[in-house]
Parts: sequence; C-alpha cells; structure tokens
Amino acid sequence: MLDDLTAAREQMALSLGFHIVFAVLGVGMPWLMLWAEWRGLRTGDVRWTALARRWSKAVAVLFAVGAVSGTVLSVEFGLLWPHFMERFGSAFGVSFTLESFAFFLEAIFLALYLYGWDRLSPRKHLLCGIPIGLSGVASALFVTTANAWMNGPVGLVRGPDGELISTEPLGPFLTPTTGTQLTHMLLAAFMCTGLAVAAVYATAMLRDPAKRDGYHRRGLAAGATLGLSLAVPQALVGDWATRVVADEQPAKFAAMEGVEVTQDGAAFSFGPFEIPKLLSLMLRFDPDARITGLDAIPAADRPPAGITHLAFQVMVGIGVALIALAAYAAWRYRRDRRRGGHPTDDRRFLLALAAAGPAPFVALIAGWIVTEVGRQPWIVFQVMRTADALTSQTGLAIYLYVTIAVYLALSVALVAILRRIAQGPRPTDPAPVEMERSAA
Amino acid sequence: MTVTEGLGLLVLVGLTAYAVLGGADFGAGLWDLSRQRRQRELVVRSMAPVWEANHVWLIFVAIALFSGFPEAFAALSRSLTGPLSIALLGIVLRGAAFAFRQYGAPYGGRPVRGTGLWARIFAVSSLVTPFAFGAAAGGITTGRVRADGSAGFLAPFLAPLPLVSGLLAVAACGFLAAVYLTADADREGDEELVNRLRVRALVTGVIAGGLALAALPLLPAWFARQLSLPAMAISVVCGALALELVRRGHYQLARVAAAGAPAALLGGWALAMQPWVLPGEVPLRVASEGTASLILGILICGLMIVLPSYWYMIRVLRAPRTTAEARATDRNTVAGR
Ligand code: HDD
Ligand code: HEM
Ligand code: HEM
Repeated sequence: MLDDLTAAREQMALSLGFHIVFAVLGVGMPWLMLWAEWRGLRTGDVRWTALARRWSKAVAVLFAVGAVSGTVLSVEFGLLWPHFMERFGSAFGVSFTLESFAFFLEAIFLALYLYGWDRLSPRKHLLCGIPIGLSGVASALFVTTANAWMNGPVGLVRGPDGELISTEPLGPFLTPTTGTQLTHMLLAAFMCTGLAVAAVYATAMLRDPAKRDGYHRRGLAAGATLGLSLAVPQALVGDWATRVVADEQPAKFAAMEGVEVTQDGAAFSFGPFEIPKLLSLMLRFDPDARITGLDAIPAADRPPAGITHLAFQVMVGIGVALIALAAYAAWRYRRDRRRGGHPTDDRRFLLALAAAGPAPFVALIAGWIVTEVGRQPWIVFQVMRTADALTSQTGLAIYLYVTIAVYLALSVALVAILRRIAQGPRPTDPAPVEMERSAA
Repeated sequence: MTVTEGLGLLVLVGLTAYAVLGGADFGAGLWDLSRQRRQRELVVRSMAPVWEANHVWLIFVAIALFSGFPEAFAALSRSLTGPLSIALLGIVLRGAAFAFRQYGAPYGGRPVRGTGLWARIFAVSSLVTPFAFGAAAGGITTGRVRADGSAGFLAPFLAPLPLVSGLLAVAACGFLAAVYLTADADREGDEELVNRLRVRALVTGVIAGGLALAALPLLPAWFARQLSLPAMAISVVCGALALELVRRGHYQLARVAAAGAPAALLGGWALAMQPWVLPGEVPLRVASEGTASLILGILICGLMIVLPSYWYMIRVLRAPRTTAEARATDRNTVAGR
C-alpha cells in the first residue's frame, strides 16, 4: 500500500492532470467555434457552420467532464490538504472567487450557445460565444495566479517574531511568476486545442481518402493555424519563464537542467548530448557565468531532480519539434497553393499532423510536472511543507484507486461518444467552380 | 451587519440556490428510473441546458467558504470526509453519466455501447449525492462530528438523525423535480405526462413532509430550543401551498412554493446553528476582515452580473424552438435504455 503522503500527491497530480485536459479545450474550443460560425455567417459557406455545430456537440460533452473534474479539485483541496487551506485558503481567495463567476458565466452562455441555435438570431447566437471564450480564458488565468502564488508567495504579513499572521488578498496577482505562468498557460491552451482539432481531421482523412473534402480541410486548417502559429511565441515565453525560475527558485532550475554542483560555465545537456558552457551562455549571456547547483540547496529542501529534469526535456523537446512542424506546414501550404494542389493530398503531411495532436498535451502535463514537482518539498514555496499540509485521514490510497478507476471509465466512454459525434452527416462540397472561389 | 454575517448570508444563499436548483436536477434522477420513454426524455430536455449552471452554486459555496472562512472549510473537510467523498463520487458520475446518456446517439439510431449502463448510473448517483449531503447536515446537527475528524469516517453519520435527514434530502429533491417537471410537461402540453408527474409530486411531497416531522423529535435539545418558529412555519406553509397548487393544476406557481419549503428549512437550520459551524467547536469566523470584505464585495458584484444572465438564459431557452425540424431532433438526441 502507498503511504498517505505519496497517495495524496499522486491523487492531486492525477486529478489535476485529468482536469487540465478538459480545461484547455474549454479555453480554446469556444474561440474555434466562434471563428467557424463567423466565417459561415460571413461567407455563407455551410461547411463552416456545420463545423461550428459539430464542435458545439463535442464541447457539450467535454465541458460536462471538465466541470465535474474541476469540482473534484475544489473539494479535494480540503479533503487532502486541510491544513494548507486553513492557513492559506484566503490567500488565493480573490483568485478563486473571481474564478467562480467565470464558471457561472461560462456555464450560462454555453447553455445559450448549445441550446440556442434555433432560438436566437444568428447574430445573437454568435455574440453568446464571446462571453464563453472570455470566461474560459479568465478561469484559466485566475487559477494559474493561485498556483503562481504557491510558487512565490508574496504579501505574507508576519508578526514581531516572524510568525505568519495573515496574507494580503492581492498577493496572487503580484507574484514573480504570475506573468510568465499566465502567458505560458494561455498559449499552451490554444496550442492544445488547435493541434487536437487538426489531428482529428488529419486522422479522418488518413483513414478515408474520400474525406479529403472541403469540410475536413477547413477543420484541419483552422486547428493547425491556431496551434502552430503559437509555437514560436510559446518557446519565447518558455525562455522567459526559465529566466524567472532561475532567479526565483534556483533549486527548481537546478533540477530542471540537471545541474548537480554549482559551477562556472555550466554545460547544457539534452538527452545524451552535452554542449560545454552553453547553459551559462543561454541563461546569463556569459559563457562563464555561475550556475547554482543542487549541492547549494540543503538536502531537505531539494526537489526530486530526475523527474523534473526529464519532464523539462520532454516539454522543450516537444516545443522545438512543434516549431519545426510549423515551419514545414507553412512551407507546404504556400508551395502547394502555388502549384494548385493541397497539402492534405500528401499522406506524410497528414501523418505529421495526426502525430502532433497529443504532443502539446504531453508538453502541458510535463510543464506542470516541472512546476509542481520542482517546487517540492514545499506546498507554498519556503513557507509550508507539503508533508505538513496533509490531512490526518488515513487510507488515502483507496481514494487514488477509486479515482483511477472512475477516470478510466469516463475516458473510455468519452472517446466512444466523441467518435460517434464525429460520424454525423457532413455537408458536401459545392460544384467545382464555386469551390475555387470559396477556397480563395 | 458585520462582514462575517454578510459573507455567511451569501454562503447560505449559495447553499439554498444549490438545494432548490441543483437539488431538482438530482431529484430528476429519481424520475429517470421510469420505464416510460417520454418521461425520461422530458428529464433530459428539462435538465440539459441548466444543470451545469445550477451545479456551479456548489463551487460557489466551496470557494466562498475557503476564501472567507478557511477555518470552517478545513474543519468541515476533516469532519465530513466520509459523506463528502461519497457525494463527490456521486457528483462526478452523475454529471458525466448525464452527458454521456444525452449524447449517446447524437444523430439517432443505436446508441453507443454502454449508454444504457450510464443511464442507470445517472439515476443512482443522482440519489446517492443528496443523501450524502443530507446525512452530512444531520451529522453536524447531532454534534457528534469532531473538527479534527477523529469521530470517524462514517460512524457519526450512522445515527437516526443523519439517516433521516439524508432521506429527507432525497425526498425533497424528488418533490422539487416532480413539480418542476410537471410544469415543464404542462408547458409542452403533454396531458398524460402531466397527470403521471403530478401524482408523483403529491406523493413525494407528502413523504418529504413526513420525514421533516420525523426528524423533529430526533433533534438535540439545544438545537430544538434555538429553532426559529417563523422559518419552520414558512416551510410548512410553502410545502402545503405547493401541494395544493399542484392539486389544482397551477404548476408554475407551485414551482415557487415548492422551492420555498426546503429554502425555509435550510434558513431555519442555519439560524439555529448560529454562530456555530460545528456546534460547540468551530464558530463561523473570518480569517481576516480585510480579505473577507473584499471577497464579499466581489461576490455581490459578481452576482449582479450572473443573476440577470441566468434569468436571460431561462427566458430564451423556455421559448419554443423556431422550427419543427429542430423540435424533432430534440427528441432524437435522447438515448434511452
Ligand atoms: C503546449 C505546451 C507547452 C510547450 C510547447 C512548452 N511549455 Fe513550458 N510549460 C507549459 C506548457 C508548455 C505549462 C502550461 O504546462 C506550464 C506549467 C506551468 C505553467 O505556467 O506553464 C509550463 C511550465 C514551464 C516552466 C516552469 C515555469 C514555473 O515553474 O514557473 C518553464 C521554465 C517552461 N515551461 C519552459 C518552456 C520552454 C523553454 C519551452 C520551449 C519550447 C516550453 N516551456 C514549451
Ligand atoms: C492543471 C495542471 C496541473 C498539474 C498537471 C499539476 C501537477 C501536480 C503534481 C504532479 C503534483 C504532485 C507534486 C509532488 O508531490 O511531487 C501537484 C501537487 C499539487 N498541486 Fe498541482 N498541478 C497543476 C496545477 C495546479 C494548480 C493550478 C494548483 C493551485 C491552484 C495546484 C495545486 C497543487 C497542490 C495544492 C498540490 C499538492 C501539494 C504538493 O504536492 O505540492 N496545482 N500538482
Ligand atoms: C491550471 C489549471 C487549470 C485550468 C487552466 C483550469 C481551467 C478551467 C476551465 C477553463 C474550466 C471550464 C470548464 C471546462 O471547460 O472544462 C474549468 C472548470 C473548472 N475548474 Fe479548472 N482549471 C484548472 C485547475 C483547476 C483547479 C486547481 C481547480 C480547483 C479549485 C479547478 C476548479 C474547477 C472547477 C470547480 C470547474 C467547474 C466549473 C464549471 O462547472 O463550469 N480548476 N477549469
């Protein structure tokens, strides 16, 4: 049997990792639906409208699972870490209070959107999409400020003997990592959504060449554009995040980069490769700069280095690979347009996009592992240890097993239903002459 | 009014909204056990657009509690671990199962494999959840739970009062759902369904009233002494009025009266509990006045945006669909057993 602390951490990791998959789609999908619906309204191309409608069915199911898995989190905070909530619940109270209204608005306008197709005028229906998109973004941002605060708690009010009295309510908005975490998270959400959608259409076209029609091409193009156009900005923000972490959480940075001993002119290692002095050069623009290693951190305060390092490499590897894919896709679209063809006629192109679908999700989870495991052994950085936050309830492994079983069952059913939703009738392409015009 | 009272009142408002709106969605699970297809379809049509917004009230309560009253949130989490875990499991299964069942056959035809099982999970988890919440409230009232959770995982809830209040919660949810569904069937002009459902509303209403009376002698003496008579009277009057309105066929008005009965009961319970969250152990107390007043301000502003939006949603979605074809697809989206 797992010990209670490990079980609670795994439980937290599992429920957050499950929720975030739906959460990012909840952030990105509304904007894609809006885009497709707007294109349909403006051009009269029924294929765009059909895409928006199809997506809205999928979003309805995804949103339900996202909502219930999110509820698990808010109650679980108390069930697993009551001591943490007791001390710091009000520290990120403002973030979560604002978030609860984002949830309300998202649920309300999503209902209007899903069930209002034949009850609202097309214009009003389109307008209902905007609050959904905005509140999805807002809820991701608010919850991330809460996490940023755990990584860099500011606004602690201490008494004369240094004991913690209370916390300033606006702390989460002012922490050193708030800026990087918010932008990085938001871009990640859009990349995940876009590439997931593109992969769905790429897979369909691979399975059945008859599906290489305008409907599927539009779905693929909308998703791939959203997902791939953000690959470069995401890497830039990631670079910024790395610098902030190096300054604020040297232990996390050392674990991420696998720096065991403090040294001048540290090498950059990636997988089996190692390039001398590159890490110092990249971080401080000086090949001989000093990099703090794990040996400078008291043993009791070191995060698990292996998993943090691995997760960081996975994320960066995927980030770089997606930049390469973005370049390739942009080049293919331009070249094929000049030649009068279409990249989706090429199996290799489709295979690349199908494979790229899960990649940003893996990077997303890996990034969160870097952030969360790299913060260990602290639940609130340098203020409260994770072990001190744990509930006194025992037998927490049971919770973990039940959660695994339930989430597995939900995933199986969800996949089956999403596949069925994808199989509905689709509009056929108009006659060739017209098609050229609308493709232009 | 102090900040503590104001924030406490908003938590109570959230709890009441969850009970009468979310509660009806849970109660619908009871009527989903029916063998009659039209009744199950009505459950889906009525619930589908609103359950997620109604569900957010629970999140609202949890967040308002841990932001404003972190001590109470931690004490409740520790002492109610058992029923809360069960309720949580029920909430996850209920929500997901409802969506799976709703979209099991998105274009008609044979539903995806397993849809029938999810439909049953939906019904059962809809009943387990209010029972767990009711038992938790009953457990608190007995005074047998401990702030550090040392009274046990389930032991404090295996007593007469928690069990009766669990059943009361289920019956109240079933009653609310039956009344709301009768009103919806009436609006759709389905006479036969109206007749079926109103009988069920009357029966569950009487059962709920009986269980509420049965709980009275089980209350601890200190609690019974603090019980607010006006609140109890309002609850009784609303319940009786709702039954009479259902009997006479005024379903829309019956909705309001039916919601009043559990709402007043909850209000009376909260008044009697005052100032305790866990009697004798943990009072309702803010962690910091400054944060609490900021939270209170945000909650009030937020509700001023959310409530009109909710009202607009109900108004739009109650309106008939514009095309007959759309109305037909509505029915097809329901995958039954
Ligand atoms: C699509 C997903 C994705 C991609 C392609 C990348 N990241 Fe990332 N990364 C995330 C998704 C993510 C995230 C959303 O999972 C995290 C977790 C917490 C956060 O704010 O963003 C994250 C965290 C995170 C952190 C830790 C921040 C902290 O602890 O405060 C660093 C240093 C980086 N990333 C750096 C990078 C670099 C250098 C990348 C190079 C390409 C990169 N990320 C690509
Ligand atoms: C959704 C993406 C997230 C993922 C995948 C994630 C992942 C993880 C992981 C892997 C752990 C276990 C760390 C360990 O024990 O070694 C953890 C712990 C935790 N995370 Fe996150 N996290 C996410 C977001 C958040 C956010 C937004 C918050 C807060 C608002 C948060 C709060 C916590 C808490 C309270 C713990 C438990 C204490 C601890 O182990 O530090 N997490 N998370
Ligand atoms: C960084 C990680 C997270 C992000 C980006 C995020 C974002 C979102 C989004 C966009 C939704 C909307 C519903 C959907 O489409 O699924 C949602 C739902 C929800 N999230 Fe998260 N969330 C995160 C982590 C958390 C955490 C740590 C909590 C715990 C307090 C939480 C609580 C909830 C709740 C309660 C809901 C349901 C709201 C509803 O019914 O609409 N989330 N989340």
